Amino acid sequence: MNFANQVLQWFLNGAHWQGDGGIPHRTLEHLAMSGASVLVAALIALPIGIGIGHFGRGGILAINISNIGRAVPSFAVLVIAVELFGIGARPAFIALVALAIPPMVTNSYIGMREVDADVREAARGMGMRDRAVLWRVELPIALPLIMAGIRTSAVNVVATATLAALVAWGGLGRFIVDGFGLQDYPMMFAGAIMVAILSLIVEFSMAGVQRLTTPAGLRPSKPVQKEEPLGTARDTAMVAA
Amino acid sequence: MYLKRILVLGASMVALALVTTSCGSTGGPSSSASPKGTVTVASFNFSESIILAHIYGGALKNKDYTVNYRDKLGNREIVEPALENGQIDLYPGYAATDLNFVDKRQGVDLEAGTDAATNVQKLNARLSSKGIKALDASPAVDQNAFAVSKAAADQNHLVKLSDVSAVASGWTLGGPPECPQRPFCQQGLESVYGLHFKAFKALDAGGPLTYAAFKSGAINIGLVFSSDGGISANNLVVLEDDKHLQQADNIVPLIRTAVANSEVSALLNSIDAKLNTPDLTAMNKSADIDKQDPADLAATWLKNHGF
Amino acid sequence: MLATGVVGAVEDPWIRWSWVSGHVDVITAALVQHIELTLIAVVIGLLIAVPLGLVAWRSRVFRGPIFSLTGILYTVPSLALFSALVPFTGFTILTAEIGLVSYTLLILIRNIVVGLNSVPDEVREAARGMGYRPLAELVRIDIPLAVPAIVAGLRIATVTTIGLVTVTALIGEGGLGSLIYDGLLRDFKTPLVVGTVLSVALAFVADLSLAGAQRLITPWSRTRATT
Repeated sequence: MNFANQVLQWFLNGAHWQGDGGIPHRTLEHLAMSGASVLVAALIALPIGIGIGHFGRGGILAINISNIGRAVPSFAVLVIAVELFGIGARPAFIALVALAIPPMVTNSYIGMREVDADVREAARGMGMRDRAVLWRVELPIALPLIMAGIRTSAVNVVATATLAALVAWGGLGRFIVDGFGLQDYPMMFAGAIMVAILSLIVEFSMAGVQRLTTPAGLRPSKPVQKEEPLGTARDTAMVAA
Repeated sequence: MYLKRILVLGASMVALALVTTSCGSTGGPSSSASPKGTVTVASFNFSESIILAHIYGGALKNKDYTVNYRDKLGNREIVEPALENGQIDLYPGYAATDLNFVDKRQGVDLEAGTDAATNVQKLNARLSSKGIKALDASPAVDQNAFAVSKAAADQNHLVKLSDVSAVASGWTLGGPPECPQRPFCQQGLESVYGLHFKAFKALDAGGPLTYAAFKSGAINIGLVFSSDGGISANNLVVLEDDKHLQQADNIVPLIRTAVANSEVSALLNSIDAKLNTPDLTAMNKSADIDKQDPADLAATWLKNHGF
Repeated sequence: MLATGVVGAVEDPWIRWSWVSGHVDVITAALVQHIELTLIAVVIGLLIAVPLGLVAWRSRVFRGPIFSLTGILYTVPSLALFSALVPFTGFTILTAEIGLVSYTLLILIRNIVVGLNSVPDEVREAARGMGYRPLAELVRIDIPLAVPAIVAGLRIATVTTIGLVTVTALIGEGGLGSLIYDGLLRDFKTPLVVGTVLSVALAFVADLSLAGAQRLITPWSRTRATT
């Protein structure tokens, strides 16, 4: 039986779809953990990034936090979390929240700063108070970048949740780690495929959400040619670890 | 002029790459291998195996062989095939477990028993066609054991593994990922003791993840190793193997016949004769609890025993 | 043992300096291996990205597929990618490098394209007016002006690669990741801390060096604020 066939047989095996160790349960586990960590991270990161952007203080920190975050290997964060909090879901959750925060802080900060000073002036000139400026002018304009930050974090989290299987958590990474331990290459490869597909689905859905939440006036009318390059202050994409 | 700058920069990057590559070649044989030849010694993913590998390797090095180590190469599913296809030359095996592993791989009935010498004999019968030899078994033994927390043992009056049948259906078993498929692990617990657990949790082979899982209550019973330093330190008790699921897992070097000349064989056999379980347990404790270096512990043992 | 502490055993401090001083050779070897793995990945990544970037810049037809493919590679989690390669290329440096190089491609190609796109049209026209042929223009004008963007991408790719090298510990390589992995396997905090700190330090050094190198080769950008 060639390898592709073996992988196919692994997927066709009904036992692999049942129970706590089955594909549906592991997938849900993976998504639930990822969703929860991104949500909690957003509750922490967005107010910080938006706040710093709105008041214009502490920008250096906001920009550099992503650089620092990118420099710390997610594998290390996970193991440190385990040393601090034990094994299982708890360190995984904490590590994932920690990893999700930097891109959201940086992107929301930059999104807020990109609001044209003239637009702010005009809004204030129209009599809007500070809070109204924030909610009715700045946030809608900053929304695309805020969404971009959430999207980057979401993809990173889904990826790093794969590694959490190494510290006795579950999720789809379980198939990769157990396949490795058993030298069951079809299982390992099947796990890799599932994780890849899930990551791509999350990436594309979030891209769709990002497009939908971009106010119509800000959407580029034709494909963006002159985008900003990665690595300048604007884009803080991190590779999924 | 500008192009020159880029070229200079590029050249210095390449130079840097070449310098670091030549400066620190990790894990390759040194430039001049000794005339006596090279031996590649591998170990499993736990301290005892690394200690044993460095005991064997250190003794060989003292006899002027060139020794390469592949420490923590993996579990048996990775290491034994590596020996069969010549990627490694030697690893410290365990007579019964290795015999059953080889039997399963070759599709024959499992043959391990309670006599170490017989196990070794059978190992040799199965492996000679693969160019592998099992040398003499040591009196030192390390076999799978199943532990529960002291509290659970007291509460449920557990002394032997058979006693667990009263509670097994509600319990979670912890062990390495391969445990459900290993005859001395979950498979054996089911077939020999009739223990069917509620769940299995994939952790590691009696390592930190297993101890942590005990502590957090994620598992009720787990695989440990009988010579492990962490058992009593973690308030665990080993249950007696009253139905003799575990066979004679004496330590035995598995070595490629091509490398096993008379000097090498004699050397390794005399090491085996001097190894014993209490020493091994003490060294394991030093490595795992006191965080001493397995290689250092091996060197000390070699010195103390005249190798 | 982990977190909750082993009863009756020695508590494991976050750094045992005695271990550090006794293992300088192990630490150095890990650091060197880490640098090697990173350099190989980034250099090869650049060698692949430059021609692909030029193609994507010039050709509308190929731009989409190039970005799609490298985008997919970028999104697939590293453990998954390495595991998918192992059945074919084994537990080798080749597996590690194929994975590591794949992750650099999207970042590098994207920045090359954007950098080249950002060369003002007037400059190009002036060059053509002065008689530059297309190849000369590319090498003398377009690429130099795209350097800031390209180096920005190189910086991200390098820092990212340094982080990902740690994951290769799981397939037998690892660099500083092998110290981190050792920390996990033995519940031993010191190599974990040493591996992490050195990894972060290496990332910062690499990032600053590249930023500095960029200033050296693009003196005209020194007066403008660099990001």
